[in-house]
Amino acid sequence: MSTIPQAALTEEVIEPPVPSQTPAPGKNKPAWMSLNFGPRMIVSLAIIITIALLAFLGPLIYPYGPGEKIGSLYDEPTAQHLLGTDNFGHDVISVLMFSTRNSLINGLMAGTLALLIGVTIGILAGYVGGWVEEALMGFTNIVVAIPNIIILILISMALQKTDIGFFKGIGGLAFVIGITAWPWTARAVRAQASSVATREHIDIAKLSGARTPSILVRDVLPYLASYVVMAWVLQLASAILAESTLSMLGLGPSGVDSLGMQLHWALAFQAVATGSWWAFLPPTIVLTLISFSLLYLQASLDEVFNPRLRRGKKKDLAKAAARRAKAARALAEQNTKVEVLS
Amino acid sequence: MSDSVFFNPSRRSLFKVAGVVAGGAALAACSSSKGASGNGSGDTGEAKKGVGNNGQVGKGRTGTAADTLFIAGFQWGNPTTFNVMSPTAAWPASSNVLQAIFETPLRWNILTGEIMPGLAKSYKVDGLTITLTMQDNITFSDGTPCTAKDFAYTYNTGKANPGLAIAAFFNAAESIEATDDKTVVIKVDSTSKNVGQVLRLLTENYVQSQAILSKIATDKLATEIISAPVGTGPFTLGTADQTQVVLKRNDKYWGKDFYGGLPVMSQIIHPIFKGNEDANLKFANGELDICQTFQSQIWKTWEGGKPTGTYLKDKPYYIPGGMPMLVFNCTKPGLDNPIVRKAIASCIDYGAISETAMSGYSATVQPSLILPTGAESKFFNQADATANGWKFDAKAAEKMLTDAGATKGSDGIYTLNGTRLGPWKLITPTGWTDWNASCDIIAKSCKAIGIDVATNFPQQAECTQAIQGGTFDLGHWYVSGVNPSSPWARFDDVLSQDKMKPIGTPGFANYGRWKNSEVTALLTAAAQATDDASKKSAYDKLDALYRKEIPMCPTMYRPDEFYEYAAVNFYNFPDANNTYAPPMFRGAGNTWMYKLKKIAG
Repeated sequence: MSTIPQAALTEEVIEPPVPSQTPAPGKNKPAWMSLNFGPRMIVSLAIIITIALLAFLGPLIYPYGPGEKIGSLYDEPTAQHLLGTDNFGHDVISVLMFSTRNSLINGLMAGTLALLIGVTIGILAGYVGGWVEEALMGFTNIVVAIPNIIILILISMALQKTDIGFFKGIGGLAFVIGITAWPWTARAVRAQASSVATREHIDIAKLSGARTPSILVRDVLPYLASYVVMAWVLQLASAILAESTLSMLGLGPSGVDSLGMQLHWALAFQAVATGSWWAFLPPTIVLTLISFSLLYLQASLDEVFNPRLRRGKKKDLAKAAARRAKAARALAEQNTKVEVLS
Repeated sequence: MSDSVFFNPSRRSLFKVAGVVAGGAALAACSSSKGASGNGSGDTGEAKKGVGNNGQVGKGRTGTAADTLFIAGFQWGNPTTFNVMSPTAAWPASSNVLQAIFETPLRWNILTGEIMPGLAKSYKVDGLTITLTMQDNITFSDGTPCTAKDFAYTYNTGKANPGLAIAAFFNAAESIEATDDKTVVIKVDSTSKNVGQVLRLLTENYVQSQAILSKIATDKLATEIISAPVGTGPFTLGTADQTQVVLKRNDKYWGKDFYGGLPVMSQIIHPIFKGNEDANLKFANGELDICQTFQSQIWKTWEGGKPTGTYLKDKPYYIPGGMPMLVFNCTKPGLDNPIVRKAIASCIDYGAISETAMSGYSATVQPSLILPTGAESKFFNQADATANGWKFDAKAAEKMLTDAGATKGSDGIYTLNGTRLGPWKLITPTGWTDWNASCDIIAKSCKAIGIDVATNFPQQAECTQAIQGGTFDLGHWYVSGVNPSSPWARFDDVLSQDKMKPIGTPGFANYGRWKNSEVTALLTAAAQATDDASKKSAYDKLDALYRKEIPMCPTMYRPDEFYEYAAVNFYNFPDANNTYAPPMFRGAGNTWMYKLKKIAG
């Protein structure tokens, strides 16, 4: 039998191989500061915030409006209009800012709606169980089985004929995306909720007389919060991409600028064939950046919420490796001494 | 504009096309160490005509491809039948597209307004009688003779089956009969007395074989599947599948003396594309010789060094021939008010439509149903159009509404006489690129002055049904273009009371169901006018009434056909400097098939 040198153990405790994510209690740090905001999150947040600022504040200071005809069909970029004009003779930068704003709003609306539906169905199915679970998950599986894009296209075409104001605008498109994008969230939340439902604190809540809605909100949902936040970020990204797909197919709302509509008109008016890169490249890049940054944010949030995925800085990892090597050497020396003594 | 049709081409046929094109291109590239195009002067220094707008010509193809003309812009889906009578007939059996397999008795020239000989070598109008004399020795491609009896029989199928498109002939004519093998006599309808309309239909409807037609039951004439069409034209159908339609030259063509020889190309291939974008890409790459598609900024192709050309060398590049309309449904509350219609007509930025949606291919439109250029210009009354018409003036448009007592709501939309001006949907088929963009501009123009209009682009069939059935609010649609009976035909399309149908019943004129008691007499007077002075007088009255009521308003002048060519294998295409033929595919446009010259000799 051998023992590990106390010094080595002390070092391990003081300087763990992987930086601690949870500070010792009583250090008076705000809870959010205990999260590991790594470079991934900083980069993704920086991109998202920059794009959002340009989309929401840019139009307030930019001198041209998106519906203002300032030139002709695909005028080339100039010092005055840095990205030239689109097929309607509108300033591309101005249209791009409004398009981005509308796409972000659409993503927020659709993503939130999808999340609400998915979480509601998932948490009910997972917690209540029984025939409720069977029914809700059966319905979810049916929706999953139908190709999403087909439902999106059909409902979008139907809504184009409506006279209800809400459905003719970007809200209508967000609604369509929202009501078709929830199934996978529901399935995942249901699995998590099923697990939480078997824990002791739920029994205590029941014994204390709490009603089901209260238990779901106060005792189940908090345990799913990290997952819900990540799902919401993914829903945002997929909603923005779905909007672009529909708009590019010409199924976007009438008279509304969006990144997909910009690409739709660019394709229709042969921007690629005529070399008018300024008409199709900027919306493509913005779309890519939004999707990339949201997916990157989701990945970094995953690291924050899931300690097993955390990655330290290289220098910390090197230090930890050195400590482990030192501890191993000390252990080996100790073993040698014990053998000699025995 | 195009119908997007998705199809599954067979790999074998695709390889064939690709092989021919690639092989031809490779051989052409190998045959010379020079660049891909020259400057339009041959080795002899002789200046070539009908070359690219930049003066360039290609090097020409070699092998089989050198004798092949590649054409596009007419067939977008799987060719199912070559039955001329079928509404879904494939190119070139579909009515009035190209006189390749079938031919018409007369041919129309869009440039001169002239009615030219076709299968009939002459026609004579004597009051309400039109007598046509057939050309000599006309034969069908199966070798049987084509006589006046075939001509009369074909047209008379419209009397036997009113569901056929050719039945429209008997709206203008009372009878047609062959008095001998070479003479056809037509009696013009004694009520409408519209000789021009009869002549127009003689330039648009093909003559077919009585022997073949008579074997088909009358009620099956439109639905019979015909895969081996027999016509009098210089080509016969070679093959047709999901990827292409191939025509082979008929070396026994009856008209080689009349046209001065056989067509230059031994075969014509029409590749079938999904939509304009694919066709335009092939055109720009020199893989098509001639094309009929809307191409945004076509000048960039020749500015980029391609030997492409259009009839006109400067904007608008194409000959105006059509007048797409914003159609108001005059049965809808709000739109039944001519003040509202005039306000909408006045708020539209026509310049923006012309410059951007139409790529500069249209002059700004005038408030008239008469084209101010070409054959119709002699009837156009500029003074009255200026005095009593409209033009883009958003402030004036809004003032019209406020002067009429309209008040603006908190949502920025006006209400007039208790009727909110909108929401109205403006429809046109999806994929009709220039029209979709025009509608976008119109909707934004309306919203800017407080009229709630939104665009909606359904599939073509659905849109056609809505327009013809009158179940729309606003539509962007077409009416009669330039033809032998225009502008009368256009006035009739827009204003006709006789052809107006109840809501829900398909109608082919006056789609907006505009009602008026005086227009029928004016239309009749215009149809019966025999000389230009009396015609102009009648058209002045019709146009004045139109400007007062505005049941539709023109949004752009569109080419009757988008005629664009690439001098990659042939040159001597008709253009403004080489005027032997009009820039057409239909009618007299067939002349270029006989006059093109091969670049590679």
